[in-house]
Amino acid sequence: MTGLVLTAREASGPPIDLTGVLPERLADIAAMPVTCGRRRVRVDELFELRDGGPSGTLILRPGGAVLDNVGAGMAAGEIVVEGDCGDNAGAGMRGGSLLVEGDCGAFAAAEMAGGRLRVAGAAGDFLGAPLAGSPRGMRGGSVVVGRAGDRVGERMRRGLIAVQGDVGGWCGARMIAGSIVVGGEAGAGLGSAMRRGSILLARDPAEPPPGFADGGVHELLFLELMRRDLMAAGAWPMEFPVAGIRARRLIGDRTVGGLGEMLVLSYT
Amino acid sequence: MRINGVAIDDTFAEAFPMKGTRLIVTADTPHWVQAAAVTMTGFATSVIACGCEAAVERALDPEETPDGRPGASVLLFAISRDELAKQVARRVGQCVMTSHGSACYAGQHEGKPIPLGDGLRYFGDGWQIAKRIGGRRYWRIPVMDGEFLCEATTAVTEGVGGGNFFILGADREATRAAAEAAVVAIRAVPGAILPFPGGVVRSGSKIGGKYKGMIASTNTAYCPTLRGAVPSLLPDGVESVLELVIDGMTPDAVRAAMRAGIGAVVSMGAASGVVAVTAGNYGGKLGRHQFHLHEVMA
Repeated sequence: MTGLVLTAREASGPPIDLTGVLPERLADIAAMPVTCGRRRVRVDELFELRDGGPSGTLILRPGGAVLDNVGAGMAAGEIVVEGDCGDNAGAGMRGGSLLVEGDCGAFAAAEMAGGRLRVAGAAGDFLGAPLAGSPRGMRGGSVVVGRAGDRVGERMRRGLIAVQGDVGGWCGARMIAGSIVVGGEAGAGLGSAMRRGSILLARDPAEPPPGFADGGVHELLFLELMRRDLMAAGAWPMEFPVAGIRARRLIGDRTVGGLGEMLVLSYT
Repeated sequence: MRINGVAIDDTFAEAFPMKGTRLIVTADTPHWVQAAAVTMTGFATSVIACGCEAAVERALDPEETPDGRPGASVLLFAISRDELAKQVARRVGQCVMTSHGSACYAGQHEGKPIPLGDGLRYFGDGWQIAKRIGGRRYWRIPVMDGEFLCEATTAVTEGVGGGNFFILGADREATRAAAEAAVVAIRAVPGAILPFPGGVVRSGSKIGGKYKGMIASTNTAYCPTLRGAVPSLLPDGVESVLELVIDGMTPDAVRAAMRAGIGAVVSMGAASGVVAVTAGNYGGKLGRHQFHLHEVMA
């Protein structure tokens, strides 16, 4: 038993919604109806299918096609995207593994509950955030991306988002709990209105974040456990120290009574 | 059976199922590891009066611990999961969390969980922080020297309590030397502990007593000073008896510990003053586990 390789027949065209095309349903994928623009068509009309890859693995080769909802709601197995993804990659994931070798669009890992998402390139806005109209963002699992847009981890409840490079504005805004790791620079509104949770930073923010109290520099043992775990997964940012557990702790957002924290690791 | 001139009685140690768990305690230095581990395993010799039986299984090098600091592996045993949970909460809360620079982790993850940091977190008075790292949940509790890091739960396993053997010696000095050798040997066995002071018991007990309310009293049959006045089980020439009580995470761990301990005793030979090795039991009616000395030493 091998995996399944889907290669897009056309490099252009309207976005293809791959909701339901999951590793746990490999045998049914060929005849599965998906939405392409305004049409409902079979998967095998849009993709060339052939066996390949490890057992239980779905390999997507989009070429230039835009694939939305890749791995959305996935509970088990593995998806590898040899290229870029559209929006909602891994949204609502509950388990399994989704690897995107290129970039992905907005709402990746939105409302994710479990599993692993790794994006080698950049993720768009709303990484790990709520889907439109929802009150809660990501609530479990782990996400590792190269860079990310605005509102990373907005209203996230649990889980880990590790961004190796820069993030846009409002990262961790209204965060409820969980951990966000930022290896590069963060835009405006970092941690705005966060209630709990941790944002790990390589350097002090360019401007002191409003609403955060400077708690001083401390030794925080859990950083050693987090470093070991992320290093083993290749997710500890290059900018982060490879030893030492001292960090500057900024507590907030106190304007909303928040008990969250930003930890600046450049003090080790 | 006789090894090196030391008689091994054809009898068995009777042991009981107990609920056990393993905790990893770490600190900045070995001194502070010992401070925490020794304190948390204090007054934990017998479930009869202490609530649990506990001891340090072994010291851990920094590369063996979750946080890369010196540590110790501690085993705790109690008669039920609820009692074990109560003892873990009390002992970690009062003896580890209070100890400078300490952290506490589950030493095993297979088995039903009981609260570890999950119970202690309330000490944080609302400032405690939960962190899930590598699939495990930890609590960061703010304390006066920084943070106390504690895993949320630890797992309970079906352990064995009350594995034992008696060393019958010609005098106190010879018996003590043999017991000390046994302790050293047993402490090298993984998954087993000796909960009594120095690993040795001098006041072995029998069930009940002449006084109302006594659930255990001195083991008259093995008291040398009562020879002649009570039905004694001591051979001629025995002036001193010491018992080693062993708790283990598995029956195999208890068996291995007994073999190592008895092996160390008999290796000293009869010339050292060791007369015989025997074991304590209740006729096989009470304990689920029986460790026959001849089978252990076969």
